[in-house]
Amino acid sequence: MPDTIRPDTLLVQQIRTGKPDAWNTLIAQYEGRLLSFVQSRLRQRAASEDVVQETFIGFLTSLPNYDTRRPLESYLFSIASHKLTDYLRREGRRPVLPLSSTANSDGGAWDMPCSARPASSIARSGERRGMEEEAVAQGIADQIDAWRTKGDWQKIKCMELLFVCGAANKDVAAALGISEQQVANFKFDFIARLQSLVRKQRLNEDVFPELYADEHAS
Amino acid sequence: MKTYFLNFMRTNMPADFSNAELEAYLDESLPVERMAAVEDALRQYEALEQRMIAINGRRDAGVHSVGEIWRRHRLSCPPREQLGSYLLGVLSNEAADYVKFHLEVVKCRYCGASIEDLRAQQSAADAGAVTSRRLKYFQSSAGYLRRQD
Repeated sequence: MPDTIRPDTLLVQQIRTGKPDAWNTLIAQYEGRLLSFVQSRLRQRAASEDVVQETFIGFLTSLPNYDTRRPLESYLFSIASHKLTDYLRREGRRPVLPLSSTANSDGGAWDMPCSARPASSIARSGERRGMEEEAVAQGIADQIDAWRTKGDWQKIKCMELLFVCGAANKDVAAALGISEQQVANFKFDFIARLQSLVRKQRLNEDVFPELYADEHAS
Repeated sequence: MKTYFLNFMRTNMPADFSNAELEAYLDESLPVERMAAVEDALRQYEALEQRMIAINGRRDAGVHSVGEIWRRHRLSCPPREQLGSYLLGVLSNEAADYVKFHLEVVKCRYCGASIEDLRAQQSAADAGAVTSRRLKYFQSSAGYLRRQD
């Protein structure tokens, strides 16, 4: 059985044939959430609408590079993030970092936020990095699905606080009302699964130092 | 739980920004108030700028972190339909509790924006403004619409 084509994929196919109705539909579907995203940061309605406007133009100009396997919403949010960053830098609100790999949003390379970096500074191939990232993302997604199915929401919260928020074990334990030992056990199991995935997929361990930090420390 | 974490976030000194937070800052996906805190700290503490440069260097060398992969792929973000169900109060207690955690503790900016949009749609008080905004976006961008063969 062929995979069902997602409605967003069909919409993008129609936009690629130059259909104004399809473009209008995409704007209607996504402008509200994009505007909320930008406005939560800028707090200025007119400037926020300008950034959203640039986001839509950025989407159309980058459309030849868009891979429809990537969720459309995430793709639009990533463009909006870059346009927002540009705006904040122009306004002097966001400090510019020397040799920043996220220095500007020009170039239309929206496939991954990291792919906007200058090619000369990339030590390993972007294709390889993308493959590594996809493999680990799939592994984490599978684990989250398994936890959801079992109703193990606390483990999802625990890993999200540890890895996404970067919280310390003791803060996670206090936030979730569990012991530090439980947090350490959950973390150990999660890392062991990811290490196993890295081994099975024959990925380079050196590019996931976080997964081997304890081994190197001992 | 929420109060504890809000206090944790507030009392965190600039030097205590985690690497995960700094990565999120670079991707413009850190909660808004923390984005502002990082920006303020960057102007005051050179050491923080050096940490940012180191993170960029690590990324440029192709080194991954679990947090940035998780965040970039939005691996735990509830689907939009589930956010709608959350607003309608029809999710199971456990699922609703997780959505609340994701919105209020993790403070996911993308899901926060989505839920604000859904709330606005429910109220539909500014329908005229929405129509005129959409028309403006369409008119300003339709010139870039091209048939791609």
